[in-house]
Parts: sequence; C-alpha cells; structure tokens
Amino acid sequence: MLRRVELAFALLLCVLSLASTPARAAHELLQVFITQPYLELHTGPGRGYPVSQVVARGDSVDVLFRRTDWIKVRTERGLEGWASVRELTLASLADGSNLKVSMGDRAGFASHHWESGVYAGAYAGATLIAGYSALSLTDNLKIEVGVSQFLGNVSNGYIAEIGLAHVFIPDWRVSPLVTVGTGFEHVSPKVLLVQPADRDDQLAYVGVGARVYLARRFFFRGEYREYVVFTRTNANEVNEEWRLGFGFFY
Amino acid sequence: METRIRLLLLSGVMLACSGCATMHWPWHHPKPDQQSQTVDISTAGDDNSPPPSVVEPQVERRTITVPQIKAKNLEIGGYYGEISIQDFGAQPVAGARIDYHITEDFFFEGTYGRAKGGKTSFEELSGNVQLLSDAERRFTYYNVSLGYNLLPGEVFIGHSLAMTSALYMIGGIGEVTFAGDENFAINFGAGFRVLPTDWLALHIDVQDLVFRSDDIGFEQLKNNLQATIGASVFFW
Repeated sequence: MLRRVELAFALLLCVLSLASTPARAAHELLQVFITQPYLELHTGPGRGYPVSQVVARGDSVDVLFRRTDWIKVRTERGLEGWASVRELTLASLADGSNLKVSMGDRAGFASHHWESGVYAGAYAGATLIAGYSALSLTDNLKIEVGVSQFLGNVSNGYIAEIGLAHVFIPDWRVSPLVTVGTGFEHVSPKVLLVQPADRDDQLAYVGVGARVYLARRFFFRGEYREYVVFTRTNANEVNEEWRLGFGFFY
Repeated sequence: METRIRLLLLSGVMLACSGCATMHWPWHHPKPDQQSQTVDISTAGDDNSPPPSVVEPQVERRTITVPQIKAKNLEIGGYYGEISIQDFGAQPVAGARIDYHITEDFFFEGTYGRAKGGKTSFEELSGNVQLLSDAERRFTYYNVSLGYNLLPGEVFIGHSLAMTSALYMIGGIGEVTFAGDENFAINFGAGFRVLPTDWLALHIDVQDLVFRSDDIGFEQLKNNLQATIGASVFFW
C-alpha cells in the first residue's frame, strides 16, 4: 500500500514541476518605473533579508511575481531581487499612474470577493472542526459553503452545508452577522450494546455571530448556531453549536 | 587653364542639379495646389457654402491592458517519513500537504497522511493474539494548522548558491482514524523549509499528533511523533 503511495507522490511531484515551469515563459511581464529616490531590492521575500542592490529613480523594473507582501523584480541590467509591495506601490506604470496592489486592510475587510476560514467548536456536545468559504454578493450578503466534522463520545459525523450570511455593518471593526442555511448530516454512532445504523438526514440552521478585524487579511469569527435535524422519527432533533475561528479574505 | 576647367565642370554640375529638380520623378508626389487652397479659404466665409469640415481622426485609441501580477502563495506537495504510533511501533508514513502563505510570517497548512500500525509488544510476545484487524491498523489523519515562520534566513552552499529558508513553528487541530475509531487530535511541531528555486520547496518536519483513545482497553492520551521529509511546488 505504502509503495503505491510513494509512487503516487513521486508522480505528483513530476506533474507539478512540469505544470509550473512552462507558465513562466508565456507570462507577459509588467514594467514599472521608479519615481522615489531609490528602490531597495532584498535577497529574499522578508524584511530581514539583506538589501543586495538599489534601483535608481527613473529606471524601470520588470515585475516577475508576488509572494505575500513581496514582489520579485528584474532590473534593466537583468539582476533579480525582492521589493516590498509597500515600496513598489510608489512606482508608476508607463502611463504615469501608480501601481496598485491589494495589501489587505480595513477597506478590504469591509469589501472583498472571497473569504475562507477554519473553526473549532462544539456541536451537540461533540468536538467540532469546520472550514468554510464565502462569496460576497454584496458587502453585506454572502453565500457560504462549509464542511464540518464532529467527534464525540457517542457518535461521530459530518455536515455539509450551504447558506447565506448577512453582515450588518461591514465597515465596523466588530461587525455582527446572522446566518441561515441548510445541509446534510451523516452520523456514525460509536460501538454500543445495541448498534444503531448510520444516519443521513437533512438539516437547517440559523445563527448569530460577529467577525472582528485583526490585521492585514486576517479576522476572527465567532458564531452560535441552532440546528434542526429532520430525522425519520416523529420528533426533529435540535442541536446547539458554537464555533470560533480565524478567517482571511482575498 | 585649370581654373577654366574647374569653372566649366562646376557650371555643368549646377545645370545638372537644376535640371534634376525640375523633372517629375516617378516617386515624386506634388503638393496640393496652392491656388485651390486659397479658393477654399476665400469661399469659407460665404454663407451659402457648407461649413468647413473638421478633420475627424481615424485613429482608434489603443486600450492598454496592464498585465496582472502573478501571486505564488499556494504550495502543494507531499511528504514521506516515519511515525511512531504509540503502542504500535514506528511505521512509514506518507501524506500530502497544501500551504497558503498569508503574510511573510504566517501560513495555513492542511495535511492528510496515512500509515499502518504495527504490532504491540503484547502481540509480539504472546504469539497468535491480535488486538486489531488489518483494516483497524490503518492510521489516517488530517489536520488544519497555522504556522509561523520563526527564523527566516538563507542557506549557503559553496560560494555562489544561496537559498531562502525558514524554521517554522506549527500547530493545529484535526482528526485521526485508528483502531476503527475517529478521534479529535491536536498537532504541533516545527519544520524547516528551504527553497532551491522560486517554485520548489523542500521540507523537514517533526510533529506530534496527540489524541485520546481506548484502543488497548483503557483510555489514555496518545502521543504519535512523526518525522518527515517532503517537497512541494509553489502555485498561484
């Protein structure tokens, strides 16, 4: 079994390396002109890496690619180095306008296209691990898709859900939100004297919570939800859930 | 005598030049007639004549598309190593990882790994006793972690090769399936990442997967240390 995994791993690496290299040649590069007195180029994408060269005012650099808050550039002399995004936004394009690069700030927290995050929490007394992604229809309204797994003493299970989230005042650092949605739950009871069968049920939920802007692209999000599981028995099951986690927007 | 010859030659050259200038060469395009222009101007003020036409430029403005800056923050790859499954011996482990670098300091990581538990000391010594079936010995896990690049730096090989690197701390939550049971697990550890090229990263990781289990009859906290090496590729 492990032999097969090793082979698959080697194959995956080959495919990945092949897939990543030709794209470099076909990509058209952006040229920016330095308008500040000089632009410092570091040896690596981080504030601690030493400055290896500077580009003078009036010279241009070709933008190769971005990694987090650093951009790899190539000078007119063909030397490569890493420039801080913050410094490079002072440079101008060929038409004289400034280079614009999204850094992630409070404005981005209020208005963005996508966000994703992971949670930990408790669902009906079981430990919960959850992840979600949301597409913004407007700054207030988002479509959310999530999956979660709960691990308890009595049963384990999964939930897949889709819903809407309404953020009341997205400009606020602490912005309250409400959620509503539906999904499916799969429950596997643990070994008991009387062994019940696995269950698949539809469910619906409503929730209330808040998201708190931390820094850059990060935010903290907490939520309390009430789930109604539409079981095949006469009575529906009502489960409480709370979840806390980190998210980032892009 | 010489002066006369020079004068004669110069006169000849001048005549030839003026003659060339008056000739209509095939590549010569005459300018618009000066007289017709003056007529146009003189009739421009006449009320009966149509207003002078404004020259409409036929050149369309070019739309300049600024190339997008490619972001390479996503890292996908695999790893292979050894995991010490508590009570069930050290076994090979293989897995896949996906990392998203959010800032130069922080990154998210998701991993999925699998191994197969060996025999306990009791099983080894007592002969034919089997605590778990083959299927139950399968050890699979996933976890979602947050990493922090604690010591970013560079690795130097020889005189001319420098590679960026980072020693990072990582911790997260996840699930371990072992002995026919799914368990909530936490993971924490440290790793070292070095980038020989801009798109390739090599990893050395040591992590502990901790979960509660009663697989050998009583509940206990199980520590499963794993050491792996891996490689991954940076994407968009």
